[in-house]
Amino acid sequence: MLSEQVVTDVLWAALSTGGDFAEIFMEDTFNTQIRMLDGAVEEAVSGRDYGVGIRIFQGLRSVYAYTNDTSRESLMKAAREAAAALPGAPAGKTVVLARLAVEKFNPVRLEPRQVTHLDKVEVMKQAHSAAAGFHEQISQVAIVYTDVDQSVFIANSEGLMVDDRRVRTRLGINAVATKGAEKQSAFRGPGRHMGFELFEKIDVGEIARDAAHSAVTMVNADYAPSGKYPVIIDNEFGGVIFHEACGHSLEATSVAKGVSEFSGKLGERIASELVTAVDDGSIPNAWGSQNIDDEGTKTRRNVLIENGILKGYMIDKLNARRMGMEPTGNARRQSYKFAPTSRMTNTFICAGDSTRDEIIANTEYALYAKRMGGGSVNPATGEFNFAVSEGYIVRGGKIEEPVRGATLIGRGSEILQQIDMVASNLATGQGMCGSVSGSIPADVGQPTIRVKEITVGGRKGAN
Amino acid sequence: MNFQEFKERVFAAGRAAGLGDMEIYVTRSQRLRIRVFEAEVDDYAASLERGIGFRARFGGKVGYAYVEALDEEAVEYLVQGAKANAQIIESSDDVEFYAGSESYPQVLSYNDSLAAVSAEERVSFCLDLEKAAFALDERVAKVPYALMGYGDTEVYIANTLGLEQGFTSNGAFSYISALVRDNGQVKTGSKLHYGSDWSTFCAESLAREAVNEAVSLLGASSVPSGDYRILLRNDVAREILSTFAPVFSAESVQKGLSLLQGKLGQSIANSRVTLIDDPLLKNGAASAPFDGEGVAARTKKVIESGRLVTYLHNLKTAKKDGVQSTGNASRPSFKSPVGISPTNFFIEPGQAAYGDLVKTLDDGLIIISVQGTHSGANPVSGDFSLGAYGYLVKNGSIARPVEQITIAGNFFKLLETVEEIGSDLEFSGPDFGGNVGSPSLIISNLAVAGM
Repeated sequence: MLSEQVVTDVLWAALSTGGDFAEIFMEDTFNTQIRMLDGAVEEAVSGRDYGVGIRIFQGLRSVYAYTNDTSRESLMKAAREAAAALPGAPAGKTVVLARLAVEKFNPVRLEPRQVTHLDKVEVMKQAHSAAAGFHEQISQVAIVYTDVDQSVFIANSEGLMVDDRRVRTRLGINAVATKGAEKQSAFRGPGRHMGFELFEKIDVGEIARDAAHSAVTMVNADYAPSGKYPVIIDNEFGGVIFHEACGHSLEATSVAKGVSEFSGKLGERIASELVTAVDDGSIPNAWGSQNIDDEGTKTRRNVLIENGILKGYMIDKLNARRMGMEPTGNARRQSYKFAPTSRMTNTFICAGDSTRDEIIANTEYALYAKRMGGGSVNPATGEFNFAVSEGYIVRGGKIEEPVRGATLIGRGSEILQQIDMVASNLATGQGMCGSVSGSIPADVGQPTIRVKEITVGGRKGAN
Repeated sequence: MNFQEFKERVFAAGRAAGLGDMEIYVTRSQRLRIRVFEAEVDDYAASLERGIGFRARFGGKVGYAYVEALDEEAVEYLVQGAKANAQIIESSDDVEFYAGSESYPQVLSYNDSLAAVSAEERVSFCLDLEKAAFALDERVAKVPYALMGYGDTEVYIANTLGLEQGFTSNGAFSYISALVRDNGQVKTGSKLHYGSDWSTFCAESLAREAVNEAVSLLGASSVPSGDYRILLRNDVAREILSTFAPVFSAESVQKGLSLLQGKLGQSIANSRVTLIDDPLLKNGAASAPFDGEGVAARTKKVIESGRLVTYLHNLKTAKKDGVQSTGNASRPSFKSPVGISPTNFFIEPGQAAYGDLVKTLDDGLIIISVQGTHSGANPVSGDFSLGAYGYLVKNGSIARPVEQITIAGNFFKLLETVEEIGSDLEFSGPDFGGNVGSPSLIISNLAVAGM
């Protein structure tokens, strides 16, 4: 890593024009990715990402530069060139660095780099056999194992100097079921901010069979009826609805510039009073957790919505200036190749009082979205869309036939108001969230909820 | 250390470690991105990056490793990493290394005058973009994005069979998104432009397209669910083509992940449809003299008058099928193993101007945006169900804007039901999935869910 003298010199060079804040982010990351198709390892890549990002603020302006060449000479050049993009003369601030010790609450027991490739392949084979042996209609199983060991060092002109290490392990299971010329696939991707001990905590075989079950159910299902009707969204990855429909619109990235539908609405009712929602990057070993964010701010639990009232946003340093509020530990980036901005960590709707069984029993007709695929949102208008990867029709209080091909569309603000039942079975699922500062690991989550009405799109006409 | 010198050191260390065929794939790029907000440059990002991908044969199998730092440890890390990775490979596929083609085409992929545009000019372009948007209509409340980017990339590939090739490319893009407010209603319109000719970057006209689109959507509402005749605007048509482009990859076909399996020589699309992959396109965003394995690039028709002519191949899939590689081996980055991707991949334009297509549509919907192609589309089955908006057309002219609908259908069915092809071919710009282009298309019918 860099010496204190080099860090001080580079920060000083970065402030050589009109900048009022400068930051260095250095990263050294080891990656492993192994792909298996139908039980045979097809591809294995290991790599090392290494580089430095330099960021300078002048009021609300931001300049970012990065390079892989971490020699003093190259960093000084990058800092001076970045500074040249800002007008003005230096304020002559001195930088006094003080090392900050951070509490490490994401323990790693089995470091991935100490685990042999063969052990990793063994876990993949377990997943493969469980899925492939589940049913005769399973025609293909693809498994991807990934581990990432990221060491970061962050220093800024306020004197902060801190490092952190993030170790993440994940298994992706994709099962394809075939019936005649038709194919349907189902994905499960359990992961945690931890090492290889992940596989002592999860039952790989059960998760793989569950993926296979989804694929087989869907390949035998008819298309979902389209139209506007009630939807019950199950717990765990179902939380992607909140992530897409509301979470992105609560990131300072869009709130600060007044382009989010939730800008300027703190203290107002934006959701049904059954809804309390939280973003919490400080849950030990959760997929989206970090000891500190990518600006060096300690992560924490941020209440976004409490009993339907908007309580807070997710804020990074630059947008904190624009908003006149404090950073919330949500500044994140894929790597040194991205300037950080406010992003979600582990985001979920909190548990309510009902049970899933009660919700189903109390519903005359609905789409039961047991598994959600991904989705996206336009934060300006709140318009979202996402795919239901495993759905069923609820009729007369009972789960009936499976249906496929449904897409849910609507506006975040409207859906939040229309949640009329919330169960107590809060659970989370893992995803990779893509936005301006790259692709980052994020947990989504919720208990089973019921929404009075959502537009359901699909190939089949209305009932 | 230069690439040639580094290559020699890696190959020497590899030979000492018992590795067989070896190859390095290096990229070095410079990027610049400038974003303006409320008449100030609020984001300015410059970068210089390089990366070295390495693959090597050991015990008959091929493993991969990559590094970004060119330090003393890098050579050893690449050699040991690739060796360890080769040892767990079980697939029986033969990975080919390539000694080089007899000749390579000349490709125009680097524009000196684009590289020479000054930083000041680029900044003032972004400022003009935002200013123009505000000046066009008083309902423009915000311009969330007014930005431009420039990048150039140098690619170098060399292996122990004697292959050694390189080329340089550059390009620029601009993106504007305008937000309009009227009577409490909010709509956004956006325009993306990619090119290597700076004179095509006209701030006023790009801003106009974004603002006009946003304003035209005010007062939008849904339509009753049902089947509609559809005009897919060129940018929507290319987004759908890009989403389903993997079905043309021989790798998908061989793995049973493409319904085009067994369809070579057969009619899979309306006879109006010709689909071309052209890596030699002048200043195309994906133009290159060779592919990710060093195979010379060539132009080919993938669909000719509705008939499937070829899949896209790299050396591995070509060997399996007993054909020649089509030069579509891809390395989306130095980190990625060799895969398959189209280059400049487009539906051949027809004669009709966009306005004529609206008249020909007569009654139906124009779709100008789709959402959720990464989640609501299944490349294996071809099924898609996507959030969408656009306009309702009655008697050959636009009646009103439409929102809160989904369009659903099947890609393979869509190809068969293309009724009319416009003359307005436009490309997406560079993407991991190739530079995809399409004119606007009239489709006989798609299922629409709305009210």
